[in-house]
Amino acid sequence: MESFDILAGIFEGFKVTALVTLYGMMWAVPFALITGVLQHFTRGAARVAVTCVIEFWRSSPVLILLFVLYYALPGFGIRLSGMTVGAMALGLNIGGYGSQAVRAALQSLDRGQVEAGRALGLHRLHILWLIELPQVLSAMMPTFVNQFIQLVKGTAIVSLITLTDMTFRAKQIADAQYNPIGVYTSLMIAYLIVCYPATLFGRYLENRVRIEHRGSREI
Amino acid sequence: MKFDPDFALSVTPLILTGLGTTLWIAVAASLCAAVLRFIFEILRRSNRWLGYVMRFVIDVIRSTPVLVQLYFIYFVLPFYGLTLPAIASGVLGLSIYYSGYLAEVFKGGIDSIDTGQFEAGKALGLRRRDVIVSVILPQMLRNVAAPMGNYFVSALKATPYLAVIAVPEMLGIAMEVGSNSFRYAEPMVAVGVIFLTLALCISYVVRLLERRLQIAHQR
Repeated sequence: MESFDILAGIFEGFKVTALVTLYGMMWAVPFALITGVLQHFTRGAARVAVTCVIEFWRSSPVLILLFVLYYALPGFGIRLSGMTVGAMALGLNIGGYGSQAVRAALQSLDRGQVEAGRALGLHRLHILWLIELPQVLSAMMPTFVNQFIQLVKGTAIVSLITLTDMTFRAKQIADAQYNPIGVYTSLMIAYLIVCYPATLFGRYLENRVRIEHRGSREI
Repeated sequence: MKFDPDFALSVTPLILTGLGTTLWIAVAASLCAAVLRFIFEILRRSNRWLGYVMRFVIDVIRSTPVLVQLYFIYFVLPFYGLTLPAIASGVLGLSIYYSGYLAEVFKGGIDSIDTGQFEAGKALGLRRRDVIVSVILPQMLRNVAAPMGNYFVSALKATPYLAVIAVPEMLGIAMEVGSNSFRYAEPMVAVGVIFLTLALCISYVVRLLERRLQIAHQR
């Protein structure tokens, strides 16, 4: 098999990689926003509860989360598809990291922003929605891209619960023909093709944010 | 099959026998990653073309999944006559992966020290070696300790990946218990609880350390 054919064979698994990423985002983004905002606004017992939820998903190794959901949930009578379990484990894990970025961004906003909103007579939720979140989200863009890359790379583990993603296809090809160098080099190239543009975009955003900051300090 | 808490408890001591291996791998991987990144940084700054090459190498490391890198090392290196034991392949893989992410440790550690510190040491008549050992190094260690601690926790959470190349760390043992008893749910939950406890305890210690070092700094 020519090396191009190997790469083409690996990309047959791209659909699963992309779907797990997409579904993973659908778990990660709402989870990060909701828990990040809640952790910022709650106090006392409520805050402890929110922190526990975040820490459970963030501090457990993602591979273990995947295996626990995949193997242990049926033991409690819950049956989910491999795709759902993969997206959930990866998404909530990344979302846990994202929530800390949301909270940190909220905390680092100038207090004057909220006070200005109050002075205008806005409701606290309106201040959050109209003043704080837009600034938080734009400040978070580089982090968001980095987390996205982490998620795409993370999807490689769904090959271990037998979903036919790019990594799983590579292993199938490697089993069918004895050419590990070709297959695993192609697999590296396949992920590089998918993630490298995002890496470059993330770096561009980071530089832009840095320049903007420098600008605002000069004013 | 229903989840059996007694079985989960009974396999916990067996899984804990892998704790030493897990910790050892995490420590070795974090240290090797730091050394590797240090070499990368020296190469990167030594000459312009090498700088571009190293930057691309780091981008490749950051754009491909750690699982794929582990497969690559484990299955491809033997073809070039380099047959490493599974555990060495694992440590090498994690070291390479984390070397791509340690930049902030070096940025925070080396670049953040004011050149005034050097000059002040010189003005006091200290020898260059004394300036480095008793002025620069302590400050560097203080700046580096907390981020290194965070990377250690991160590396600890990545050790379960080594189970896929048959390293007998905790997840590997849990998988073996599963395949022997045909019950995966209980060992998975047990290993999950152990990892979560471990990660939370160590991050707590790192946070404490961070705070202590900051207070010492403020004095």
